[in-house]
Amino acid sequence: MAIRDTGKAPTRVKPKERFDFFHDERVRSVLYQLLTACVVGWLVWYLITNTAHNLEVRGMNTGFGFLTATAGFDTDFKLVEYEPGVGTYGRIFLIGCLNTLLVSFLAVIASTILGFIIGILRLSSNWLVARLALAYVELVRNTPLLLQIIFWYVGVFSILPRVKNSIDLSGGAEVAFLNNRGLYMGWPIPGDLFWMTITAFVIAVIAVVFLKRWAHKRQDNTGQQFPTFTASLALLIVLPGIVYLMTGSPLGWDLPTLQGFNFVGGAALPPAFLALLIALSIYHAGHLAESVRAGILSVNKGQTEAALAIGLRPGRAMALIIIPQAMRAIVPPMISQWMNVVKNSSLAVAIGYSDVVALFMQTALNQAGYAVEMVGMTMAFYMFISLSISGVLNIYNKRVQLVER
Amino acid sequence: MAIANGEKTAARSAPLNETSFIGWLHKNLFSSWINTILTLASLYIIYMVVMSMWTWGIANAVWIAENRRECFAISKDGACWAGVIIWLENIFYGRYPRDELWRVNLGGLLLILWMAPLWLPRVRDKIFIGLSTVFLYPFLAAYLFSGGDKGIFMQIMVSGAIVCLIGNTLHAAIGVFGDSSLPATLLRVLGKAEASDSNQRNTLLTILAIAFVAVFLLQMGWTTKFVPWTKWGGMFLTLVISGIGITSALPGGIILALGRRSKLPVIRVLSTSFIELFRSVPLITVLFMATTMFPLFMPEGFVLNKLVQVIIAVCLFSACYMAETVRAGLQAIPKGQYEAAHTIGLGYWGMMGLIVMPQALKHMIPNIVGSFIGLLKDTTLVSIIGLFDILGMLRSISQDVPWRGLHKEPLIFGAMVFFIICFIMSKYSRHLEVKLSAGANR
Repeated sequence: MAIRDTGKAPTRVKPKERFDFFHDERVRSVLYQLLTACVVGWLVWYLITNTAHNLEVRGMNTGFGFLTATAGFDTDFKLVEYEPGVGTYGRIFLIGCLNTLLVSFLAVIASTILGFIIGILRLSSNWLVARLALAYVELVRNTPLLLQIIFWYVGVFSILPRVKNSIDLSGGAEVAFLNNRGLYMGWPIPGDLFWMTITAFVIAVIAVVFLKRWAHKRQDNTGQQFPTFTASLALLIVLPGIVYLMTGSPLGWDLPTLQGFNFVGGAALPPAFLALLIALSIYHAGHLAESVRAGILSVNKGQTEAALAIGLRPGRAMALIIIPQAMRAIVPPMISQWMNVVKNSSLAVAIGYSDVVALFMQTALNQAGYAVEMVGMTMAFYMFISLSISGVLNIYNKRVQLVER
Repeated sequence: MAIANGEKTAARSAPLNETSFIGWLHKNLFSSWINTILTLASLYIIYMVVMSMWTWGIANAVWIAENRRECFAISKDGACWAGVIIWLENIFYGRYPRDELWRVNLGGLLLILWMAPLWLPRVRDKIFIGLSTVFLYPFLAAYLFSGGDKGIFMQIMVSGAIVCLIGNTLHAAIGVFGDSSLPATLLRVLGKAEASDSNQRNTLLTILAIAFVAVFLLQMGWTTKFVPWTKWGGMFLTLVISGIGITSALPGGIILALGRRSKLPVIRVLSTSFIELFRSVPLITVLFMATTMFPLFMPEGFVLNKLVQVIIAVCLFSACYMAETVRAGLQAIPKGQYEAAHTIGLGYWGMMGLIVMPQALKHMIPNIVGSFIGLLKDTTLVSIIGLFDILGMLRSISQDVPWRGLHKEPLIFGAMVFFIICFIMSKYSRHLEVKLSAGANR
């Protein structure tokens, strides 16, 4: 029988807290924080006053006015219009940032593709292939990136043949040439009606999305499969292709031609760019390969067996069951590798590719001497890139996180 | 009908295709036509790489020559290792005076001697040995490497370091061979094994004081030539910078990581922003910042030399990376450990120092080795801002008049040096990982 407690619990006497000022947790936390804030604040103030004083003593200029002043030096690689003596330092900063972003973007794509290939080869059942992939990974990961970049630059791209004996990469079609001044290749020039081809491509992409949805629905309802991949590929190629041909091939090519001592026309990439791109791709592919391998290994073996048991072929099992689960483990280290690609592209300064560090933090700083502002701007640029990438990563992590019950 | 006769049938040997070499080949290399193609392609790649390396690097290489022209005269399509061989001392020691090289070597040997007990079995008080390495060895090394007049503070620290080194070594030797410790042995020799605690302590302190005074008097007679830091270079400089970087990264990283996980908002925000600031920018910008902005930060008339600027930058940078490693280690400790520590009445520092950190550090050792490899590789960046570390030395070979244009061979040699060091360290960290997780996987 339950005993019902009807009586009131005796009122407890709250033990009298002995208030000890120095041993009270709340007082202490405020004190510690105040102390830290004071020390840091004093340090910052000290450094700032020192800097201000030193700048004044040395007669150095300050402020961001230099951004609109004209810069007198030229750069060999630029994506936007710039002329020495006319262009401003602001323009120089823009050129540097774009150059960094260009080489990082291409290196990210190349290293991701190469990294996935090497990572999967590392897990190959073929003993020799797995060992070869391992040798690649160990070799690139255990030597400094800077050494690799310099090696590609002075050991490969600087000893290519001279302009006169350029290597024709297109095998006689005279579209792309490689020599010790870099890579020269044909560049497409869109004609008047080219926008129609692009529109057709966009329409094809939208159509593919709807096709996929429809095929999925049909499979859910009837169990019948539709060859979505082949159909989409055909759609993506055929539709723009027909439009392109119907509008009369409105795409011209600007081909590099040898005039005097150098190539004229087309797009030119300097050797430093190529060396940096290749070294970054190869180095980070080695790191990415390890993440890919670890990610695939992290998927429980039971998943593979279950997938095979319900009758999926090995390829489908990989694509539908293993890879989607592995991506959860692969993506975070992959994105932090991408961040490292952007940061490591700053090593361009060692081989003279005009990225933001070489162009703005070194050349421009030596010319104009706004040390604090220029260093600050360059760091802010990298911080902006890093924080945006890690923001994307956080969103992704939130979306794919396992919901624990 | 089956006949049971109680006799065991003899074990059959495994099928031939499981044990024989051919069977192995079939299973691992030629299981399907795709694998066969892959195997043949790999064999071709290996053949091409090995053959070209062999003919260029060894068969047609020139090992002894006076200059690059002579190399070409002997062999046109081979490596010219002669330049690397002649520059070998420069690559490892930079422009350190040749008569004084023994000091660098001695410094390295002493470090090995100091740290060796950490890897020996049956040695006690390894934590003390490790801490003494971190706190006393740098003074000894600094004095050995730079020399010159030493102030009274330096004299005391150097004497302390020498006493500590001798003590460590004796202690380790006694531990390995006699399975005992140095203080116990000393007391036994003096016949005080049974004496009271305070008597024993006084005896030991007296011995320590006598040893210290003896060493102090002894070292007053030593003078070595002053070698300015500008003469330091090569692998030696790389190791100095990365060594200081990694030893200061650990305490700095622990403090920053604790700050980042702190409950106090001001401390947390400050640590987090400091860590994120340094982690989101490339090392080279931090180095440029050090060389262009540190002189502005200092009060007028106070000049930091470039090496110190670089070392400060490397320390800040590696501490922030280490902080994230430590944080990951702290996160791996189950919450129950924190709660249990609180329950038995430990305060914050007791909980962290006695319960959480020791466990977390054990988890982190492989990652710490990984950070050290990373830092060692990253240290090559100081060659960009004009210090002659190993990469700077390797690159200056091609500027040397007799060897003008000799780029490839030095770089390949440097790559081999780094590969050997980093590969051994990473294998060792793998080994540690397995060894340390052995307890957890029971």
